Amino acid sequence: MLSPERLALPDYEYLAQRHVLTYMEDAVCQLLENREDISQYGIARFFTEYFNSVCQGTHILFREFSFVQATPHNRVSFLRAFWRCFRTVGKNGDLLTMKEYHCLLQLLCPDFPLELTQKAARIVLMDDAMDCLMSFSDFLFAFQIQFYYSEFLDSVAAIYENLLSGKNPNTVIVPTSSSGQHRQRPALGEAGMLEGVEASLFYQCLENLCDRHKYSCPPPALVKEALSNVQRLTFYGFLMALSKHHGINQALGALPDKGDLMHDPAMDEELERLVVRSKLHRTSRPHRAKEPGAFGFQRREKQEALERVSSASVPTPYHYRWEPRE
Amino acid sequence: MARTPSNKQPINLRGDHINLVSSSLSSFPILQRSSEEKILYSDRLSLERQKLTVCPIINGEDHLRLLNFQHNFITRIQNISNLQKLISLDLYDNQIEEISGLSTLRCLRVLLLGKNRIKKISNLENLKSLDVLDLHGNQITKIENINHLCELRVLNLARNFLSHVDNLNGLDSLTELNLRHNQITFVRDVDNLPCLQHLFLSFNNISSFDSVSCLADSSSLSDITFDGNPIAQESWYKHTVLQNMMQLRQLDMKRITEEERRMASVLAKKEEEKKRESHKQSLLKEKKRLTINNVARQWDLQQQRVANIATNEDRKDSDSPQDPCQIDGSTLSAFPEETGPLDSGLNNALQGLSVVDTYLVEVDGDTLSLYGSGALESLDRNWSVQTAGMITTVSFTFIEFDEIVQVLPKLKIKFPNSLHLKFKETNLVMLQQFNALAQLRRIDQLTIDPQGNPVVNFTLWKYYVLFRLSHFSMQKINGTEVTQNDMIMAERLFGILAHVASSELPQYRLISILGDARKKQFRYLLESKGKKPGIINEENNDSKRLVGENTNRATLNYTTRDFYNEKLEEIKEKKKFCKTYIEDLVKEATEINMKNEALQKLWPQMFIELVRDAVIEIRNKNSYMKLCLQQITDQK
Repeated sequence: MLSPERLALPDYEYLAQRHVLTYMEDAVCQLLENREDISQYGIARFFTEYFNSVCQGTHILFREFSFVQATPHNRVSFLRAFWRCFRTVGKNGDLLTMKEYHCLLQLLCPDFPLELTQKAARIVLMDDAMDCLMSFSDFLFAFQIQFYYSEFLDSVAAIYENLLSGKNPNTVIVPTSSSGQHRQRPALGEAGMLEGVEASLFYQCLENLCDRHKYSCPPPALVKEALSNVQRLTFYGFLMALSKHHGINQALGALPDKGDLMHDPAMDEELERLVVRSKLHRTSRPHRAKEPGAFGFQRREKQEALERVSSASVPTPYHYRWEPRE
Repeated sequence: MARTPSNKQPINLRGDHINLVSSSLSSFPILQRSSEEKILYSDRLSLERQKLTVCPIINGEDHLRLLNFQHNFITRIQNISNLQKLISLDLYDNQIEEISGLSTLRCLRVLLLGKNRIKKISNLENLKSLDVLDLHGNQITKIENINHLCELRVLNLARNFLSHVDNLNGLDSLTELNLRHNQITFVRDVDNLPCLQHLFLSFNNISSFDSVSCLADSSSLSDITFDGNPIAQESWYKHTVLQNMMQLRQLDMKRITEEERRMASVLAKKEEEKKRESHKQSLLKEKKRLTINNVARQWDLQQQRVANIATNEDRKDSDSPQDPCQIDGSTLSAFPEETGPLDSGLNNALQGLSVVDTYLVEVDGDTLSLYGSGALESLDRNWSVQTAGMITTVSFTFIEFDEIVQVLPKLKIKFPNSLHLKFKETNLVMLQQFNALAQLRRIDQLTIDPQGNPVVNFTLWKYYVLFRLSHFSMQKINGTEVTQNDMIMAERLFGILAHVASSELPQYRLISILGDARKKQFRYLLESKGKKPGIINEENNDSKRLVGENTNRATLNYTTRDFYNEKLEEIKEKKKFCKTYIEDLVKEATEINMKNEALQKLWPQMFIELVRDAVIEIRNKNSYMKLCLQQITDQK
């Protein structure tokens, strides 16, 4: 706790790096909004629940988009929640369109912007025929890259455009013949032969980018690894490579490996229980609301009902611990 | 010499009596009779079945009155111009192709030309005394050149090629007209025949009474036949004819009884009623159709407007949204891609109407149909309990789903038996929107028409509906039965979502989300009853009635875009406040922390100095003791 690095940071910077203030503000805001309901069982308990849910990654459920993308931890939690909720769709083997995936996202976050989903779809489809069907795992990994590293990707796109048009933003302009040639090679556009940009040059720019900016970017070493096999690459090719790279996925820590994507034994168990329960519910005569009270939400009973439900919940199988990222 | 068979004398035209005269007329046989016969039968001559191919020259018989050429092979009427006293000429069953050679027979009263090959009625100009004209069995296509025959009583044109009847004026004496076995489709001018009593139209091509309407105006007609015409097969034939021709005594050769007349009148009245009724119905239907078309057009305009704003806002010449009240035919050209509800006939029809409605509410037995968003207000009307109770199906068309969501509570209360909901052109685009239907009491059937509802294109939409609305135990979606497997699949696909939504949300979130849902449901009730929102007991009671579903999915709600943005706006203030509040706290905390750190840094030094000061102070015990005592006395 009292490590020298931590003490070395000035207060605001430390708080900002850990996004502590974001959560504090949000907590107080939620408190204000639900004043009447929360006052019933105490503010201390509220804060406990709030931060517990932050730790567990359930705080982003059904929240507005501005909150969901506010911190890296929120983004990771959201990705994880999306995976857990809709893993069954992937398991079922259905291929869906971009719009449908967007719908699913909106089930968890009502104002999730279509733009992001479109960008993610473009990665999978390599900017081609946006109405194509995509598999769950393809979409999910591409979406992870797009959503978690949005700002980074925007900068990368700008760099790519620059490189493509011959401008190199990072190298100092030294008017020697060799660097001139070096720079101008893509601009000459030997059409059809050379597509995209040169990998090593591209990587150099990325490295500079990662150093310059503080927001999250993939570990440079892993990026280098992803680029190591290719001479030239296109923008979407690069993104595709990122999304498929296991190391980056693990570094993010939100989703399991591709091979394990459909595995979640605890949830499957829970699902079986639900399915059985629904079968029984269906065979017995469904009762009308004329008989209130059975599922009724009377105030005094509601607490008990909720308590019953929450106590029956299974604790999140992968206890997500918020680890400091180096 | 030869005598006619009518006197039963043997026929002998060959041999002696044919004299080959050296004149130019020598190709014709010349007929001569013995003087006895001439005296006995001075006015009649019969040359029936004599195998004649031409008319022979008949000399010295200029006072002949009856001449019979039946059953021969005569091709032209010739050599009878001298018989100017002729009254009856019979050329039945010959091969005559043209009426000619009659111009001198001014006394002729009976002309029988049946069963020949006559194509045209002509050259009858001088036969002003004609009484009977028989032209049956010929090839006549047109009635003409008989208008001068003002003494004609009987005209037979049966078995010809007539396709219509007209040009009958001038036949002021005609009492019988036989037109059987032609191809007549319509009849005209019969009302110009003042004496016509018998008209035979059997075996023609008359199919409606309108084509023979002039018959109704003929007061003299008493006997008519229509058998063998298409009209005679119709169910309304008899009474229509009787009703329109009250003067008739005989129809199709059968006397008309009083009873029949009475029946005819009754039936005709009933027909009239039915026609009026169906006319009214079709007018209503037309109006409905136009209204729906108008609603459709407004809907399309609205959608285009939204699309235009969304896609290209700087294109100035795009289809600019027009005021719907000014729709006229010219605007049709501005929307070339519109298909579906628009009609090419709309143009004309709209110009005929002065006021066009913008919405339509229709109750048809057990179905309530609403077209256009204006129709939603009709739910506020005072529906009779009986009518409202009978409604089991409610159909929404050309209304935004978000607007429908807001009136669902009203629907629930006013139409408690509505079990089947249909949506067409309602802009259902997200799965989330189905969450809004959960607040209803019960739905047995759901029909989402693909037209205007993009959500149907999703692979999983049906399963999501079954999952979210599982407490309704729906029977059918879009006409297909819901099977146990469907329900299980729905549960499998989305069950975890429900589990996460209920068990993993912290308590306060659960309460706030459910609280929001309840509050929205109450909004209508409170507004209508005028109660203040602060009365908690009422809310409790109502909550019992309104919420009746699985706790598991209750948190999956749908807020319309507008409400959502409204809420976010409201929160902005709070957020700002929280931000400043936390900032203040942080400032305080950092200040304290800084002071603490500063103190930590300084403390060792301070401590040493404190200790040094103290040690210096008490170095000299005696002087220190004196100092302390001094201080104590000073204090007092």
